[in-house]
Amino acid sequence: MTLKKNIFAMGNEAITEGALAAGARFYAGYPITPSSEIAERSSIRLPQLGGMFVQMEDEIGSIAAVIGASAAGVKSYTATSGPGFSLMQENLGVAVMGEIPCVIVNVQRSGPSTGLATKPAQGDVMQAKWGTHGDHGIIALSPSSVQECYDLTIRAFNLAELYRTPVILLADEIIGHMREGYCPHLPKEIIERKKPLCANRDYKPYDFCGEENEIAPLAAFGSEYITRINGSGHDESGNACGRLDNADKFIRHYHEKFQKNRDDIIETKSFDLQDAEYAIITFGCSVRSGKAALKLARQKGIKVGLLQLVTIWPFPYEQVAKICEQVQGVVVPEMNLGQIQGEIRKVCPTHCSLWGINRVDSQMITPYEILAKLEEAAI
Amino acid sequence: MKETWQVIFSGVGGQGLMLAGKLLGDAATGYEGKYAVMTSAYGVESRGTFAKSDCLISSSEIDYPEVLKPDVVIALAAVAYKKYAPLLAKGTVLLYDDSIEPLPSYAEQICLPLAKIAKEAGNPLGINLVSLGVLVQQTGIVQELSVINAIKDEFAGREKQIMLNLQSFQAGIRAKQI
Repeated sequence: MTLKKNIFAMGNEAITEGALAAGARFYAGYPITPSSEIAERSSIRLPQLGGMFVQMEDEIGSIAAVIGASAAGVKSYTATSGPGFSLMQENLGVAVMGEIPCVIVNVQRSGPSTGLATKPAQGDVMQAKWGTHGDHGIIALSPSSVQECYDLTIRAFNLAELYRTPVILLADEIIGHMREGYCPHLPKEIIERKKPLCANRDYKPYDFCGEENEIAPLAAFGSEYITRINGSGHDESGNACGRLDNADKFIRHYHEKFQKNRDDIIETKSFDLQDAEYAIITFGCSVRSGKAALKLARQKGIKVGLLQLVTIWPFPYEQVAKICEQVQGVVVPEMNLGQIQGEIRKVCPTHCSLWGINRVDSQMITPYEILAKLEEAAI
Repeated sequence: MKETWQVIFSGVGGQGLMLAGKLLGDAATGYEGKYAVMTSAYGVESRGTFAKSDCLISSSEIDYPEVLKPDVVIALAAVAYKKYAPLLAKGTVLLYDDSIEPLPSYAEQICLPLAKIAKEAGNPLGINLVSLGVLVQQTGIVQELSVINAIKDEFAGREKQIMLNLQSFQAGIRAKQI
């Protein structure tokens, strides 16, 4: 094998390599198009690194195994697509409630239900946030290139460990199956979970008050500490607790631990926005259409910029609001019927027009569709 | 030199259309410092129905990852040829196997016995590599040596596979001189 600076690889391969670079050593999953290459590559690579790969009976078992492995102290992940992600929602709630770090890759395909198995879509934006019931926050990141598949997977693990939370890597068929040159560089930062330093009898796995970032240390199952994971309302020790003030405290915590750390969690990328009179705001594969449209529009003298939402949840309301304040109009291309546009509408002032470009025929939005909207707007 | 090449390898699943695109992209990014993107489309069947890979090779960063205005379309099966021939405009080269019934098209059509060449080169399954050889020879999209290196990387440790694929590729390189 020749030593090459850039590897021409699929997004799904880069996601796997990103997970391994971040220190993940456990994968449990059930293969599903268009995410199967993550399972395939993980099954080869994890044993090489002393890790473990398990093909489970279904996606319900997959996320249960991932939660268990992470609770035992090993960075863990799974990968799936819409139908599997739907099955995972119940146990995703367990990970939220138990504050268990893990990474769930959803390579989105056309839905609902089985949908078009090999075709792309971006229809799981709201599901990533609200698929599991009850009030809670979540982190979701969305890559738009093979390099970002690698980089954001590492970031997903770091955020999962830092904030004791499941993190969704919301990729899509285009990006997951796309091949592109990427560099699997050494991660700049690898975050390990905070472990307890107190005497084992004093350890309370959910006692976040007074902790840095309001995140309690997490001891591994099988260590000298006792850790309880309880899907029912529980107190600081993890014992079932039906007290109303306790429910209020913890449900607010599942939400506020993300809100209080928005500046750290939220990442957006800006392109040519300084003098922009119009903005394209988008995410995932549609960023590629948007960037091409931006260049075409600039050639025609239309002052356009692009805001890429790298973090989808928590939603970058402040960053979006700032752009909406600056420009006359915002175009939101997305391969769904307006899930991101709806969030933008919440912070879009009346002077700023908001247009969606939406496709659900499993075809990528072309740059020309976006350009046509911009030309129409700029007349 | 052209800044961006847009190429489609089309045919049916099982013909190695993704592999051809992968080798082309790997040759460009790994050995020539160029940018390359490959996307694909196929059905739920593992083989036998329409499939394609879109390859873009460029000296600058590539935004949109699908082919919008193809320079070359390679059609290795009738289903793919019938899809593209009526759609293509002037300025596109349509390379197809001589087993396919020709149709009128605005594209510049090149008909070659690709399957026959593959068979004669000792690997009937190598039609994808033959067509890649013709593409490289006709366009100079990447250097011949870059593809040879990409083949050696792809099949590292599998000498027979390297030999068969190199034979197919080089038969494609020579094809127009036959």
